[in-house]
Amino acid sequence: MSPLSPTERPKLSARARLQADKVTGRPILLYPEGVLVLNATGEAIVDLCRGDLTLEEIISQLAAKYQAPADAIARDVVAYLDRLRAVNLLETSTAHG
Amino acid sequence: MVRSIPRPFSLLAEVTHRCPLHCPYCSNPTSLPPVGDELDTGEWHRVLREAAEMGVLHVGFSGGEPLQRPDLADLVAAARAAGLYSNLITSAVGLSRERAEKLKAAGLDSVQISFQSDDEPLANLIAGTKVHGKKLEAAALVRELGFPLTLNVVLHRANIGRLPEIIALAERVGAERLELANVQFYGWAFQNRLALLPTREQIRQAVGISFAAKERLQGRMEVIFVAPDYYAEKPKPCMHGWASRHLTVNPRGDVLPCPTAGEIKSLHFENVRQKPLRWIWAESESFNRFRGTEWMPQPCRSCEFREIDFGGCRCQAALLTGDAASTDPACAFSPFRDRLTRIVDSLQDAAAPFTGDAVTYRENPQ
Repeated sequence: MSPLSPTERPKLSARARLQADKVTGRPILLYPEGVLVLNATGEAIVDLCRGDLTLEEIISQLAAKYQAPADAIARDVVAYLDRLRAVNLLETSTAHG
Repeated sequence: MVRSIPRPFSLLAEVTHRCPLHCPYCSNPTSLPPVGDELDTGEWHRVLREAAEMGVLHVGFSGGEPLQRPDLADLVAAARAAGLYSNLITSAVGLSRERAEKLKAAGLDSVQISFQSDDEPLANLIAGTKVHGKKLEAAALVRELGFPLTLNVVLHRANIGRLPEIIALAERVGAERLELANVQFYGWAFQNRLALLPTREQIRQAVGISFAAKERLQGRMEVIFVAPDYYAEKPKPCMHGWASRHLTVNPRGDVLPCPTAGEIKSLHFENVRQKPLRWIWAESESFNRFRGTEWMPQPCRSCEFREIDFGGCRCQAALLTGDAASTDPACAFSPFRDRLTRIVDSLQDAAAPFTGDAVTYRENPQ
């Protein structure tokens, strides 16, 4: 997998469905043959993966929200998005390139 | 001691055992109850609702060929209303544009199509009917309508040599997942195993090809290779343990911990017409019989892998040793391992090419 570019506009794949788990109430991502339970960080990241914001903008929004240094946030976001990419849950222009 | 009951995550809804294909590798039971016994629409609605209330997240509509049920879109809508993520597991025969659009509107989330090969004459020979062309059309339709598409190809002696072409087919039709599942020997497949077992050399090549494809396609297509039991050293962690995550409801409402558990004749399986699904999952004798590790005999009981492979597959143990509680003979530690080794060894140089005469094709219930 090639690294995500800062100008990429990540978008949650249409094959994933975000909903609340009936048993725990926690947000979960359902996709073919799989499920990902989102923690608070994951939920905040996934919420911004709509295809309108660039990776750079997502990082700066989250840095502002959590009042944390952008480079630390960037590491978390990229790591999380790579997890989504590994199971083919993120649409990016590089994913099919 | 209070037993802790795990949460089920997936339901396989076998809505009918009828199928227009006759694949000799089918794992359905060889003797099927009459078609008239199938659960009706209302009964399936209740099953789907109860499953979702228990925590189930995924439902696979399967069979047989689920498209044989005229009420399939209705069942899909009920699954969606219950919050389940639905997958249609189909041969694609009967998936017209009209039906596909109806299923989309009902909220179907994803589609899995079986292919027998990339090569049309061979695919039709394996299916026992001319269906390959229809599958290609259906796969294109599924992508056009925006469904995520999984291709499932059961591998055996006749088609495993075409693995590179089969992977290319999956790429060509735009599949997002490719399941390369070595044939599992239950039901019809068990009856045909001498004709279906690949050779050791075929398996060695297939492993290399599929792992290279997995790497190359990462991020675009997920490639899953299901290893062949008869060549394994360790048994598969079947269903992640008996009654730990999954339940199957068969066409007449029997509730099973896996799709082939009906093969275990020493167990009585409960039916949704008589009992609530939650009770069957938590309390029934059949679901608790092999839960956890307490039931295990030696060598499983003291084995360091007992929480990893759970002693393998209960159905395979029953089929090959006559005792569902014994260690899966696919395990190198099983006292019955030589039963598999002997079959595999006898095959290597003498493996005959696949022909229609060498197998018993699957037949439909009446």
